[in-house]
Amino acid sequence: MLGAILDDLLISKTTGPCITASRHFPARDAIYEPFPASLNPRLADALRARGIEQLYSHQANVWALVEAGRNVVVVTPTASGKTLCYNLPVLQSLIDAPDARVLYLFPTKALAQDQLAELEQIAKQLPELRMFTYDGDTPQDARRAVRARANLVLTNPDMLHSGILPHHTKWAGLFQNLRFVIIDELHAYRGVFGSHVANLVRRLRRICRHYGSTPQFIMASATIANPGELASRLIGAPVAEVRQSGAPSGEKIFLCYNPPVVNPELGIRAPYLGEATKIALKFLREKIATIVFAQSRLATEVMLTAIRSGVADKTGDAGMIRGYRGGYLPTRRRAVEQGLREGAVLGVVSTNALELGVDIGSLDAAVLAGYPGTIASLWQQAGRAGRRVGSSAAVMVANSSPLDQFMVTHPDYLFGMPPEQARVNPDNPFILVNHLKCAVFELPIADGERFGEVDVRQHLAALEDEGLLHHAGAHFHWASETYPADHVSLRTVTTDNFLVIDTTSRDEKQTKRRQIVAEVDWSSAFATIYPKAIYLIESEPYEVQELHFREDEEKVAYVKRVAVDYFTDAVSARGVWILRRLADREHAAYVVDQGEVLVAEKVVGFKKIKMGTLENVGSGQVELPQQEMQTTSAWLTLPPQTLARVSQSREELIDALRGIAYLLHHLAPFFLLCDVRDLGAWLGDTTPVESGVVATRESTRRRLLEAERFNPTVYLYDSHAGGIGLAERIFEVFPDLLLRGLETIEGCPCRAGCPSCVGPVNEVGRRAKATAAALLKLLTA
Amino acid sequence: MPTLDDLRHIIRRIESARPPRPAAEPVERVLGGDIVETGAGSILMVRHEYPLAHAVGRHSLEAAFELLPEHLAVIARVGEAPPDPARLLFLDAETTGLAGGTGTYAFLVGVGRIESDRFVVSQYFMRDLDEEPALLAALTPLLEQAAGLVTFNGTAFDLPLLETRFVLGRRRWTPALAHVDLLWPSRRVWLTALPDCRLATLERHVLGIVRGDDVPGALIPMLYFEYLRTRRSQPLARVLTHNRDDVLALVGLLGWFGRALRGGARLTAHELLGLGRLWEACDIERSLAYYRQALATGLSGMAALWTSLRLAAWEKRRERWETACALWENAATCDIFDPRPWEELAKFHEHRARDFMAAQRIVMTALDRARAATAPRRVIDELTYRLGRLDRRLSAARRRPLEADVPL
Repeated sequence: MLGAILDDLLISKTTGPCITASRHFPARDAIYEPFPASLNPRLADALRARGIEQLYSHQANVWALVEAGRNVVVVTPTASGKTLCYNLPVLQSLIDAPDARVLYLFPTKALAQDQLAELEQIAKQLPELRMFTYDGDTPQDARRAVRARANLVLTNPDMLHSGILPHHTKWAGLFQNLRFVIIDELHAYRGVFGSHVANLVRRLRRICRHYGSTPQFIMASATIANPGELASRLIGAPVAEVRQSGAPSGEKIFLCYNPPVVNPELGIRAPYLGEATKIALKFLREKIATIVFAQSRLATEVMLTAIRSGVADKTGDAGMIRGYRGGYLPTRRRAVEQGLREGAVLGVVSTNALELGVDIGSLDAAVLAGYPGTIASLWQQAGRAGRRVGSSAAVMVANSSPLDQFMVTHPDYLFGMPPEQARVNPDNPFILVNHLKCAVFELPIADGERFGEVDVRQHLAALEDEGLLHHAGAHFHWASETYPADHVSLRTVTTDNFLVIDTTSRDEKQTKRRQIVAEVDWSSAFATIYPKAIYLIESEPYEVQELHFREDEEKVAYVKRVAVDYFTDAVSARGVWILRRLADREHAAYVVDQGEVLVAEKVVGFKKIKMGTLENVGSGQVELPQQEMQTTSAWLTLPPQTLARVSQSREELIDALRGIAYLLHHLAPFFLLCDVRDLGAWLGDTTPVESGVVATRESTRRRLLEAERFNPTVYLYDSHAGGIGLAERIFEVFPDLLLRGLETIEGCPCRAGCPSCVGPVNEVGRRAKATAAALLKLLTA
Repeated sequence: MPTLDDLRHIIRRIESARPPRPAAEPVERVLGGDIVETGAGSILMVRHEYPLAHAVGRHSLEAAFELLPEHLAVIARVGEAPPDPARLLFLDAETTGLAGGTGTYAFLVGVGRIESDRFVVSQYFMRDLDEEPALLAALTPLLEQAAGLVTFNGTAFDLPLLETRFVLGRRRWTPALAHVDLLWPSRRVWLTALPDCRLATLERHVLGIVRGDDVPGALIPMLYFEYLRTRRSQPLARVLTHNRDDVLALVGLLGWFGRALRGGARLTAHELLGLGRLWEACDIERSLAYYRQALATGLSGMAALWTSLRLAAWEKRRERWETACALWENAATCDIFDPRPWEELAKFHEHRARDFMAAQRIVMTALDRARAATAPRRVIDELTYRLGRLDRRLSAARRRPLEADVPL
């Protein structure tokens, strides 16, 4: 059935020409290994009871390496039995040694819940397993019981950081007998977040040493370029890598689909959400289990609405199709996950929230509405479709953005690129010092003791100068009333969430009863729940009436149910201005500065877009405060004479500088060992902050074109409020960064710009690559 | 142009500059006490002895040690065998903060106990943070010899903190020790009578102690950190006094409970009510007796309302309707409107006495009062609903004259 639909897609007159590439990934046979001789017979019986008679080769490999005392990271595709790799040694140790303890770390609470459910299945035959989650959702009065009883604790880095390590004496039983630490979804710990987690592991290992335990680490990661390197950086110890999956996989077809041109004169393509919907419907109408990935929460809702009405047309059962994204209440999410596992839910439209390891079973088809932004995500999302036997399909539908258009028209690039590198820098002084404070709080640091591998004598002396530490008896002691873990947040996102409250809901007696219908995190609140916005929850439209965001208010959005045929999309603007110059360096052809900047973002209005046709049917203004962040930045200014030597056309120069900003933004993480998300890039000017007004990309361009003085400035700033030293480092390496930029452009085989150099050609223009190369040659001469 | 960092350095140096001063004197000379050897290093111990007749506010220390076992059991919430009062250890810790967790130290621990015919307070003070092993070593035999611990808020604060310190110092903590946390009985007794239940408030209002130059608890960590930096211990003298007075106040407070429970003290109506609440956990008859006594002594306002309702609920459970109704009526006439006594009365007349007219009268009066008191919508809705039902019952009864006309 799937084959017939794919054939139809490929040869039909309407869709055939839109398929820009198809790849066939042949089926792979399973490579089995018998149960290892050392496997406890009771554990073997428990596995047989679940229908497992032998292991896949990667599971057996991990077993052997763990038995040899190694730390291990396993990297295999979705649904290849990855969790059994770490669950097996863990369960064995808990059966063999009644005192043994194990700690599981997951990036989110939901994933920990998920794993708990899976473990409970196995535990039915193994009564010595006492596992509990311990996180922000664990009720206060249950915490003591968990500490006393659990021999397997599932938690997240944030809880380990602020709830467990600073109270390690209450967990003495755990730390004395800690046999294994399991870190799943390892790839999530990259960039600044990963650097925090690496320091957290330093603290964890230090506490374990105090209690006399040396746990082994078993980690699992989605496909990234350097899992072994990331793992050993994160835990500060050598790690063995297991990459070869022994799990079977059915054949898979991957198609790239570029929506048809509907207006040849303007080169306008059919809306990609509509096209993705049509393709998803082809699968769903034939009862093929399908997951649709959207690139935003809004897109999720829009497609869900369309797919539901499309399915209802044919089968009369729209409830088989569910939505899934951050912001839904946990009960709703759990219901969708369960429905997918059990088959009650046929299709799901999701954001990348389902890209992580949440267990939803296997599906037959994945439709990716838009390129997910990274190669690693692309494979992770496509991997959600795939049975162990039988065939599956993934279709990526490109949107009209330059990046998507590039990918869909250069399939060799798309399929040939290795997944991204994950980088961490545990020695970033800003991050390290914060965790060092926590470490002293947890346990006095002895003179000469290292933190991880780092010699921290100077750091400690500086903290003592600040009056936070006190030296006595050859140790540094915590000497402050504060609780240092409270001052370090591992993630940039604030925990301040908005509750979305429906004022029109009624209970079973039909009396009005306000009801919480969703949660929205602070960072996306202003772009999604501004007054008059249509907020969709599983495609039910609500109109936002009030948004309470002031500091002294409870963060709430009041919404009412409405019947409308449009949704709203926010229009936002940005700006970067210099607050204070802290250092500058003049080079022959340019000046680079470093200092404090103000980064502002503001939702200035919204567009009303008609459901179904996606045509623009109106707009509105929004009065919301500007979101401001003070941070550090490095910026590049080019004197007029330099610019003039390359081109007389401002337009051409702006395009080239946009390209350079893109290029430097994507190259800087190599030097800084951070993630692209940890930095921001912006082409602006040197307008003083007092007269700075946020602007959209287009209006910034216009302003640069029309300005009396042409002073384009490329900003590369730290996306962490206050800065964590990234900008200072960029400032230091700037000449090398430019040099590497030039090398990259010159070595790039593309003709006029691609995502690997100055950005996709149709975003930066036909001349950008050449002009940028000329500029960089001049700067690095 | 100096950079921001340069300026920070300059400002820090300006701020930390001090005129020359004489070197700090040794702690024991400033604070008194002796340096004692513990086997795990030395520590400063300051010792105070008091005769048992020593006055803590209005009363002497000895009342605490004359506590009847059954009374101690009530206060300590322990079952059969309460600890021997003469072997209690009164404990109070001063810490480097309230944050909890392993980075908070107990730098001063004061313990009081009877030694032959004297009450002795021993205070162990860490001259530096590395003296913690000595502090724990000094406390260990005292904890082992004691029959029980007396603290104020020790359940939530002092004991978990000390336990953390013991575990961290790799010493065995004795969790089985009976523990009398005076905060719990104090909350039961003075919840309604006093603005708060802090030890200082109880001291002033209950024991009649007014401390002269007491150091605010919130300043204590800072004073200790300041001492660690400067080695000047004079400002800590007030901290030691504060700690010693806290230990003595524990004894005074326990003594108050002893006297009050024996009936040996003149008690206010609020205190009688409080003792009723205290007894409720283990002896309901004694509890009710205190409630009755409290009402008789002249409770008013919310407290009277609460007590009447509480008593009435027990009377209702025993089906002593007359007494219950009297109490509800008492509660209903209270200045503060509360729907509960009205509802109870209406229920009694409607379902038990089956006097619909009386019930109707009560609900109508209640509705008037509810409206006058601008009670919440829900209350008025419920009363209205009840009134409607009574009206229907009354008119139904009128349609069946035979039944209604028969004189009872």
